[in-house]
Amino acid sequence: MNSTDTTEPPDLMSCDREPIHIPGRIQPQGVLLAVDFKDFTVRQASENLHTITGSPTADLLGGPLAGVIGEEGVRHLSGRLRRLVSGERPECLETVRLGPSGQEKKYDLIAHRNNGKIILEFESIVTEEFPETHSALESLLGQLETAKTLAELSNQTAAEARRLTGFDRILVYLFDEEGNGTVLGEDRNENLPSYLGLRFPASDIPRQARELYRVSHVRIIPDVDYQAVGVLAERPFTEPLDLTHAILRSVSPVHLEYMRNMRTIASMSVSILRDGQLWGLISGHHATPRRIPFTIRRSCDLFAKAFALRLSALERTQELERRVEVRALFSKLLAVMAGRGDYVRGLLENAHELLSFVDAGGAAVVSESFCEVVGETPTKEQIRELANWLFAGGHTEVFHSESLATVFPPAGEFGSTASGLLAIGVSKLHAGYVMWFRPEVVRTVNWAGDPAKSMTPAPGGERISPRQSFEMWKETVRGKSLSWREAEVEAAIELRNAIVGVVLRKAEEMADLTAELTRSNSELESFSYSVSHDLRAPLRHVVGYAEMLKDSVSDRLTETDQRYIRTIIESSEFAGMLVDKLLAFSRMGRMEVVRTKVDLNKLVEEIRRQLIAPDSERRITWKIEPLPPVRGDQTMLRMAMQNLMENAVKYSRDREEAIIEITGHEEGKETIIAVRDNGIGFDMRYVDKLFGIFQRLHRVEEYEGTGIGLANVRRVISRHGGRTWAEAIVGQGAVFYFSLPRTTT
Amino acid sequence: MLKPILLAEDNPKDLELTLVALAKSNLANEVVVVRDGEEALDYLFRRGPYENREHGHPAVILLDLKMPKVDGLQVLEQVRADKELRSVPVVMLTSSREEPDLRKSYDMGVNAYVVKPVAFREFISAIQDLGVFWAVLNEPPVGSVKPVIKK
Repeated sequence: MNSTDTTEPPDLMSCDREPIHIPGRIQPQGVLLAVDFKDFTVRQASENLHTITGSPTADLLGGPLAGVIGEEGVRHLSGRLRRLVSGERPECLETVRLGPSGQEKKYDLIAHRNNGKIILEFESIVTEEFPETHSALESLLGQLETAKTLAELSNQTAAEARRLTGFDRILVYLFDEEGNGTVLGEDRNENLPSYLGLRFPASDIPRQARELYRVSHVRIIPDVDYQAVGVLAERPFTEPLDLTHAILRSVSPVHLEYMRNMRTIASMSVSILRDGQLWGLISGHHATPRRIPFTIRRSCDLFAKAFALRLSALERTQELERRVEVRALFSKLLAVMAGRGDYVRGLLENAHELLSFVDAGGAAVVSESFCEVVGETPTKEQIRELANWLFAGGHTEVFHSESLATVFPPAGEFGSTASGLLAIGVSKLHAGYVMWFRPEVVRTVNWAGDPAKSMTPAPGGERISPRQSFEMWKETVRGKSLSWREAEVEAAIELRNAIVGVVLRKAEEMADLTAELTRSNSELESFSYSVSHDLRAPLRHVVGYAEMLKDSVSDRLTETDQRYIRTIIESSEFAGMLVDKLLAFSRMGRMEVVRTKVDLNKLVEEIRRQLIAPDSERRITWKIEPLPPVRGDQTMLRMAMQNLMENAVKYSRDREEAIIEITGHEEGKETIIAVRDNGIGFDMRYVDKLFGIFQRLHRVEEYEGTGIGLANVRRVISRHGGRTWAEAIVGQGAVFYFSLPRTTT
Repeated sequence: MLKPILLAEDNPKDLELTLVALAKSNLANEVVVVRDGEEALDYLFRRGPYENREHGHPAVILLDLKMPKVDGLQVLEQVRADKELRSVPVVMLTSSREEPDLRKSYDMGVNAYVVKPVAFREFISAIQDLGVFWAVLNEPPVGSVKPVIKK
């Protein structure tokens, strides 16, 4: 490569400003003149007018049309010329023989009107034989009828057009919404390389060329190396002639360079329109000069129309089929969701439906507390970041983008999997989304042998060529995915409504449940109160009067009598304690959990100091490791910890030296605390009963207790979202564990 | 010159146990017993059957929280609203700490509360502590009457 080459590549956008409809010149395969509509006075004419008249062109300017085609010709044609309507496409009025006598040649006389002017083009006749147009069209229509795909449709149209025109190569290409083109159909011989699949950016066809193609449906360049012929006016400084519809209109030098770089010497392009907009082109190319007669060009125009009609129908059918398909997938997802009552699992377990539903490469269901993915997606961290961004931007209903990175720059990191995003918000309160991802288009283009390679660069390099166009196209679609179709976005919105419905239904059920719970809670509260009050009072009285009885008669009672009274008192006191603990237990269930940062080390130390009376003869070795910080309700956690530590002390009291270990560690999303003793342990067969209320694994006379303690521990921990479990070996000791959700900070 | 203790208690058994507890604490104060809130207010405001009682306020008022007609809280409210009675200490006696009105009594300026324990010995010591604290240790405000121990 020549690195010192400072030649600026042609800025194709600058072509946007070139006034291509008024070139002031024509191609040389014919003669052009403009006459006044009202009296047929010749106002402008191409310099080569003399070739059909034999007299100098300038002599005819300002004169009557009869000077060119004779009085007889004018009389013959005037009626039809007067009927011309401005803006209508050129008509071939008839074939005429013109020229200096002895050198007469045949011309197609093509005429159209442009406001006050009639433009007459005398296109020299093509002598070559062409197929019969009617049967060609019939053949095409027959084939299009059976075509099922866009590719079939395009290829058949290309093949029929080539058969009709005899070009070395016919391309059928369509523009997307942004004007980028893709070659979808091709038919060719060995003279020209394949361009099938080639894509090029919108800038390849400048804006005003696009407009010109929209109004004038057929352009033809028989020989790229033509010598342009100037158009003369009767008077200098006359407004240049508008040649929009003129067959002979000379084309832009930039376009000619493009053709030469493509090795196409002759070309023809026919516009494919839909709803009045340029939708695509049928483009014919030839390696050598080639002329196509008017009738054949007219047939190609019909080809383009037939193609457009058929494609519209096909698209509608496909859109319809897609809608039916989407609907079926949607129904399936809906059924699963409704059945499960849990949309997340419902969606994730039907990954195929979830993805094909909107034709995505990957999907994710994300909420505050989880992020699950299927297919090809960015990382969960990236998805979470994306969800937070969506939420912060207020996109709580639906959001879709074909080039995510342009609005959310971090998406540049994962453009290959998710240049396209379709997201539906399922919560107004937090960043809850179902997302679908589409990969970058460039990555999805299948190059089948890279057609760009088959094009040899011209000596000295190419400034503009299909290869460069492809490179440019790649740049324009960098970071872009295929567009989300209307049907897909609509379906996603419907899915959102369904999900919100499921969530709402759940919320309503929850609200019902909450109301019921609140009611039963307050019932429980009054129950607690009456138990507390009504049960405690008689127990108090039993104890009080028994005490008084003991005081007043103790000197008269036998040892046995005194034991009876003691038992009455003890039992009543025990009943009182049971009532108190039961009430405390029920309070633990009702009390609101107030979460703060809790230092378990401090807590454990305080409990330990209170636990053992200073005069105790027990020998207890405490092994307390530094415990990780947790979040929870200080009071409740103290109660749980105290319970476990009391148990450890209690059940190890027969040991000469009790060893109580308290350890803690973080594991996954949990912090796990363990209290281990070397006491009597328990039989693992009964481990399930351990945490149940009023469940005891030892006889009362062995170990006192109410059977509420561990139930309370479990209740407290589960209210914190944690778990409780235990392990033991009879006679060797026990370990009690509880876990708490790990602090996020 | 000890002021009396006013005890408002509707349950006869609790009343008897409380009186025993007070007796065991060897307080010199007279204990005036009333059986509901209304009677307590009659005593405090010298009306009805107590119209002609001597002037003076009790050393401490022991109020059972739940009583017929006018409950402990309502008595407390009127005591705290009265300019003269306002400074008299009030101890609330409750059957359990689950009492929903416990918090209210604090908000209304109760000086202490006692959850009547099931264990009698604890009850005696709680009453003793209270009696000693409020009836004996506190300086009797001006206007107190000489105690007459009633049994």
